[in-house]
Amino acid sequence: MLSYIDKIKEISRRLLSESKVELVIGFRKGSVVMMNEPCFVRRPEDVGQLVWDGNCGINLANYLTDRKEKIGVIAKGCDSRNIVTHIIENKIRRDQVVIIGVPCQGMIDRRKVQALAESEIRQAIETEDSLRIKGDGFEKTLDKKEMLQQNCAICIHRNPVIYDELAADEVPEQSGVDRYEDVRRIEAMSADAKWDFFEDLLSTCIRCYACRNACPLCYCPTCFVDESQPQWVGKSQDPVDIRTFHFLRAYHCAGRCTDCGACERACPMGIKVRVLTKKLEKDCLELFDWEAGMTPDKRPPLDTYQANDPDEFIK
Amino acid sequence: MFKNLIEYMGIEPGRLQFSWISSAESTKFVEVVTAVTDEIKALGPHENFVKKEARVA
Amino acid sequence: MTFIKIDKKDWEKGLERASQRYGLFGPVRQEQYCVFKALTAGELPDMAVQNTRLSPRSVVYPQSEKMFAFSLDENQTDHHILKEIDKAYPARAVVGLRPCDARAFLLVRPNFDTPEYKDPYWVRSYESTTFVGHACSGPCSTCFCTSAGCGPFHEHGLDVLLADTEEGYLAKVLTEKGEAFMAAAGWETEADAAPDDRMAAMKAAAESKVTAKVSTDRLKEQDTTDLFEAPFWEDVGFSCINCGTCTYVCPTCWCFDIQDETRGLSGIRMRNWDSCMYSLFTLHGSGHNPRNTKTQRVRQRFMHKLKYYVDRYQNGIQCVGCGRCIQFCPVNIDIRRVCDLMNRFEVS
Repeated sequence: MLSYIDKIKEISRRLLSESKVELVIGFRKGSVVMMNEPCFVRRPEDVGQLVWDGNCGINLANYLTDRKEKIGVIAKGCDSRNIVTHIIENKIRRDQVVIIGVPCQGMIDRRKVQALAESEIRQAIETEDSLRIKGDGFEKTLDKKEMLQQNCAICIHRNPVIYDELAADEVPEQSGVDRYEDVRRIEAMSADAKWDFFEDLLSTCIRCYACRNACPLCYCPTCFVDESQPQWVGKSQDPVDIRTFHFLRAYHCAGRCTDCGACERACPMGIKVRVLTKKLEKDCLELFDWEAGMTPDKRPPLDTYQANDPDEFIK
Repeated sequence: MFKNLIEYMGIEPGRLQFSWISSAESTKFVEVVTAVTDEIKALGPHENFVKKEARVA
Repeated sequence: MTFIKIDKKDWEKGLERASQRYGLFGPVRQEQYCVFKALTAGELPDMAVQNTRLSPRSVVYPQSEKMFAFSLDENQTDHHILKEIDKAYPARAVVGLRPCDARAFLLVRPNFDTPEYKDPYWVRSYESTTFVGHACSGPCSTCFCTSAGCGPFHEHGLDVLLADTEEGYLAKVLTEKGEAFMAAAGWETEADAAPDDRMAAMKAAAESKVTAKVSTDRLKEQDTTDLFEAPFWEDVGFSCINCGTCTYVCPTCWCFDIQDETRGLSGIRMRNWDSCMYSLFTLHGSGHNPRNTKTQRVRQRFMHKLKYYVDRYQNGIQCVGCGRCIQFCPVNIDIRRVCDLMNRFEVS
């Protein structure tokens, strides 16, 4: 995966010098360990700053919404599915984007890595399989596969589903992956236990809305939490309001969420919010046989009515 | 899906019910309303997902 | 200045004695990180953490705070009249905050405590709090306090400064409030063996470890309009997702939003922290939004912290170099880089 960058740069340079796109959205090296910063490149001579490694977990589809130019964008599997959703929802046109597809083998969860270090990690050196971390007085080599973001570890769509150019050969998809083990565990709890589980999970939420803003699907001009006439949900840290915000946001992403993990990555409090969106993903799969963003040619289940839609919940 | 989500986050099953009733089906309406009222009363008052006043500083 | 030595074995007992007179707050572990919370009986502050995830800003200035109550019942004589909610501000002590966070309160104070107007909640809360700081011996790579007006052993804003020693802590008592706290804790043994020299040596050692720096010397003389129109804002702001994390972890941010919430015939007026990162922040009642693009909002944040505050308050930048925004920004926007761009900017 680390060798992809040459092809990415070559494609980007070509697209810009042939004026096929006005800008290419990718990553440049970050200023802290294990972080890269999304950036845009307008001139072919600037593509040298682009990087690609295991710290490119941010979903670049987030930067496409409502843009008017022709854009080249680097997209992993999950990102490409979000681009498909954007196209279906008319937030960008297919002919506007040149998708540089990148088969992905998983992104590193830097918090997981930091938790294994005795003090601040000052350097992290990545290879195809390992991650070597160094700090004051310690050095460790970790198995990269163990350090992946949770959503990457259970990903079954690592190859881009839509692309104009591919930066590398496709990687084998993971099989035999149980995506919903944690969801089933919660489903098996009693109503009280479930209530307490979520009370606990959301207790540290500070209503910063980082999850909402990092999500490529959350692009409503006025989010439901910001509506004031009528005000659907309070803005304070009252626990009922916090819960309402989270589960309603998850519901608004039903059938659209690709489990890219941007929400959990962005959360400053490290809340595992995906446990809500994955429940809806599971239901969509079981009730409608639907996976978000796989093809631009089918309408999502909450968008259309079909005679065989499940209805045994209606009396 | 919404019903599933509500139950998933800890509201007791049976609190949220759906029914499809035409305005011409008055008999069905009465039956459903009576049945739902009885079922909800049997569940008792729900305390958790109620906000009386913001619980803040 | 008195120097007191606190032995490890007296630490817990001292805090327990102090808790008879002060509500104690300190860093408490929550999941993988620490935040400032009220310490329960017997709970000790986590003094090993380098710095908390959320700043102690919330101790003085809670994130959601009720201010007034009102009745909508027209049968009451005082209906539709806002009544201030009685709040008590008993003596409190924050133990274990870092010097950068203590200085942050001083930077925020001119906003809430002016000759013409005082925010009664903030001022009463701040004045009833004693700050017992914990000097940094191991700053992070993202700390740049020494070039942001303070440092790992900085004393302004603190009532007591504790420095780690092998036996426990060397405490420098800085104010009367600090003296009162030390007396309440029963920590009264004066330190021997040239404590000021020892502390000065520790301070120098810690300051030399702060390798990250920002240059702020030219910010004051920069022309505001030129800086505002600078071409680098698009590049700086591109990756920003306006998530608000920076404003929520920052110890010097102060903006809030006032909301009324009613239920039936009664209601409360409260305030919640707000963020200039949200588009709603400057949305006018007319529907017009002077900062409706992301770039404008990002520019606003950095101009406020690094230029407008400098011009208005003559007290340096509105930043203490704690590094939290750098660590938690999900897209790695780095204030050090932006400060550098702003400082050396020249109109071409």
